[in-house]
Amino acid sequence: MLPADCSRRLVAELRDALDACAERQRQLERSLRVSRRLLRTWEPAETPAPQPTPAPETSGEAPSPESTPSSQDLKELELLTQALEKAVRVRKGISKTGERHKALSLKSGSAATSATTASAPSRPSGQASCRVSETKPPRGIQQTVVPARGLPESRLLSVGDRTRMGRGSRATKPGPGPRDQQIPPSAALQAPEAFTLKEKGADVDCWLPQPLWKPCSGLEGGSPQSAASLSTGFPDRILLRLPMAYRKAASRNSRLWAQLSSAQTSDSMDAAATAKTQFLQKMQMTSGGPGSGLSAAAVEAEVGLLRTACLLLRRRMEEVLSADPADCMQEYRCLLTLEGLQAITEQCLHRLQELRAAVVGRQLGPWPVGRRPGASLPCGGGTDPLWSPQLLLYSSTQELQTLEALRLRLAMLDQQIHLEKVLMAELLPLVGTQGPHWLALCRAVHSLLCEGGERFLTVLRDEPAD
Amino acid sequence: MGRRRRRVDRGAAVGALPKAIAALSRTLPAGPSPEIFRRAKFDRPEAAPALWQLLFRVLSPLSADGASASPAQGEPPSTEAQVRAVKSELRSQGYPRRALAQLPEDGSQGSRELLLALAWLLARGPLLERLLAQTRVRLGDEIPLCECEALARPGAPVPRVEADGPVDIRHLQWLMGKLRFQWRKLITSQQEQCALLGKIHSYTRGCHSDRSLGHLSVAETELLRDAEGGQQLLRRLESENVCLEAALRWRRQELVFWRWMDTVLGTCPPEASQPTFVPRIPERGAGEWELVARELQALQEELRGAAEPRRAAWEARVGGWGPEWSAVQRASREAVGLELAALQRAWERGGAAAQPHGPCRLVKSDAGASGGPGLRAAQVIEVLRSREACLEAVLCQLQRQCRQELARLAGALPGLIWILPPGR
Repeated sequence: MLPADCSRRLVAELRDALDACAERQRQLERSLRVSRRLLRTWEPAETPAPQPTPAPETSGEAPSPESTPSSQDLKELELLTQALEKAVRVRKGISKTGERHKALSLKSGSAATSATTASAPSRPSGQASCRVSETKPPRGIQQTVVPARGLPESRLLSVGDRTRMGRGSRATKPGPGPRDQQIPPSAALQAPEAFTLKEKGADVDCWLPQPLWKPCSGLEGGSPQSAASLSTGFPDRILLRLPMAYRKAASRNSRLWAQLSSAQTSDSMDAAATAKTQFLQKMQMTSGGPGSGLSAAAVEAEVGLLRTACLLLRRRMEEVLSADPADCMQEYRCLLTLEGLQAITEQCLHRLQELRAAVVGRQLGPWPVGRRPGASLPCGGGTDPLWSPQLLLYSSTQELQTLEALRLRLAMLDQQIHLEKVLMAELLPLVGTQGPHWLALCRAVHSLLCEGGERFLTVLRDEPAD
Repeated sequence: MGRRRRRVDRGAAVGALPKAIAALSRTLPAGPSPEIFRRAKFDRPEAAPALWQLLFRVLSPLSADGASASPAQGEPPSTEAQVRAVKSELRSQGYPRRALAQLPEDGSQGSRELLLALAWLLARGPLLERLLAQTRVRLGDEIPLCECEALARPGAPVPRVEADGPVDIRHLQWLMGKLRFQWRKLITSQQEQCALLGKIHSYTRGCHSDRSLGHLSVAETELLRDAEGGQQLLRRLESENVCLEAALRWRRQELVFWRWMDTVLGTCPPEASQPTFVPRIPERGAGEWELVARELQALQEELRGAAEPRRAAWEARVGGWGPEWSAVQRASREAVGLELAALQRAWERGGAAAQPHGPCRLVKSDAGASGGPGLRAAQVIEVLRSREACLEAVLCQLQRQCRQELARLAGALPGLIWILPPGR
């Protein structure tokens, strides 16, 4: 058992560390919930429940090869193909968006209604196939930006692909059936709209935010947001455009932040800066004696830095001493390095003495209680921090994951170093004094301090043979 | 003529001061009216409570999501608690005037002193910008690149019922294991969040009106999905814009304020020179100082012991060498100098300015978008890796010290064989 005050301090430190970790976890969970909720409306394929299309399920999850390809399904597929080809033709010849848009929607609406009257084969098959080929269509669709013609083609291709993947012999088969059914009401309406809007402004990809389709990309179109409520669950998904009020406010915001950051250097600022320093000096003088200008927290932080410096210097020294110089040049460099390290060490010692003098000789406030000491390595953002965030461009999810993992690892190492220092300060003296259960204590302390609590050593009693 | 001009100037100045103060309080959270400031100059007691509250809001840490300072209990702390918190925080930041510490804790007096404290905080650093940045509306998916902001805001000390009695070391081991497990969990959650973010970014590509961004962030997508939340976001954004404009106004007019503060300081009676006051250095601070001093001295000894004989040997060898050697020597000296400077930068404050700092907004863009503004993830990863190597070195060093110390202590007891666990 450890002494009471030592236990209290150590338990408090470890619990602080656990709380910090738990706080991060909470924040992360919050963000995860939000992200998952957002993505659920895009990829609802996991749960059949929230699907808007009504479809009685006949069989289980797996696409059943024995769902017969009825002639009705074939007819639907044909209707779909026709509707899409028409859409492509219309898009090619389109000049005005408004009237055509309405006309098309009426036309495809009629096509859709005829399709919906057909029977509905099982939904899960469509879903499962959606899942299976999830990775395939977005690629194809994304790449067909300019030739809009490619879009229905690729979709048909993927439809065909899926049947080939899932079913084998029968070519245009029922798997896609339910999808085709769902496609006409919404897609045929949306597809021409997407095409027409694509005409209007953007050189960006089309957006087809089907509940079952993975969307390709966003669209910047001219139609007002309120008009686009054709899609199923997600309002305004055809024209995912941020509201005007928000855009204005956001651009004003970024402009103001930029002004604030740049306003740091200007002529009127210099006059104010001198006025401020004068004020501070006057204040220092009227407070009865020269202060050190250092706060207790700053002193503590610097002492911590010097400790880190010592460790790094020692590490470099050991590297140099263990290296075997091959020739004169390297020998000379080793010598210079050692002498340079010696000079730096002396500087650090000198600085330490200065800090000591500041603490003892002047009036500093009490050391802040309960505040976690600063990071082991400082970051240099002292001079001109940017107050609004800069951009960080990443190119793939793996890159982002690596970045985040590194960041977490740094935080973890920071915490480990702090805990190591605390544990060293408390536990090593205990090992020095031999008490009961000294061996067990020694073993536990070794594992905590030297192995991060992960591994244990073994102690053998070397009994004499007699 | 001159007199008239002076009168006109004074008239303008008189109007300018309340405007400047109004801009200042608009920027600050819970900023009091200019009238309060005027009363504070004359040390009126009715101005004190507002100023205590203001200082408390300015100095207290903010909660993680940037909401305004509200403690975990859900209600504002009492006046005494606020007063105590303000006093201790100012003290630890090095506030020079002792009169503040002597103010009564019921918060009824000392408005002039508080005014001076506020001016001191404003003069020392970019207080307003820092406050605004802390409560900034986050429109993008942000990732803080360095932890300095997180550490500069110490978390509110949670009152915890601690085990008063002695504790077995196995409890500590258990806590450490729990901590390791929590970190693992955290890492996996983080990876999942990255994957989801990547998906959202790629789905919303092309939706953003700002070309350099290209896609929506989670907050913006939420805005589209949830109209109510979107309204709230918009309101917060607009109120922040108002604060920012007030801050810019303040910037233009603050000279008037500083001149006025000089007069305020003039009305204060000067403090008596310090009586002899020996501060007690608490054990923790002293302990660390001693430790570092010992370590540095030991290191210095070792270095001297290693360098001196080598220097002597070198001088003996090199004695007769020619002048062409000196150019080579100079080159070596420069190279070693650069290496050591790089080493020093690892721990010194001012030198690490090149490192990325502060929160960054994540933007997914295809590789090769060179020449645009913003940092590249690959570069940041490099920098983070070097920091990681540095920290790992520090940790290994500490562990090695422990191992040596324990070996020394264990060696005192003969008749035991210590079998170390297999190395990493």
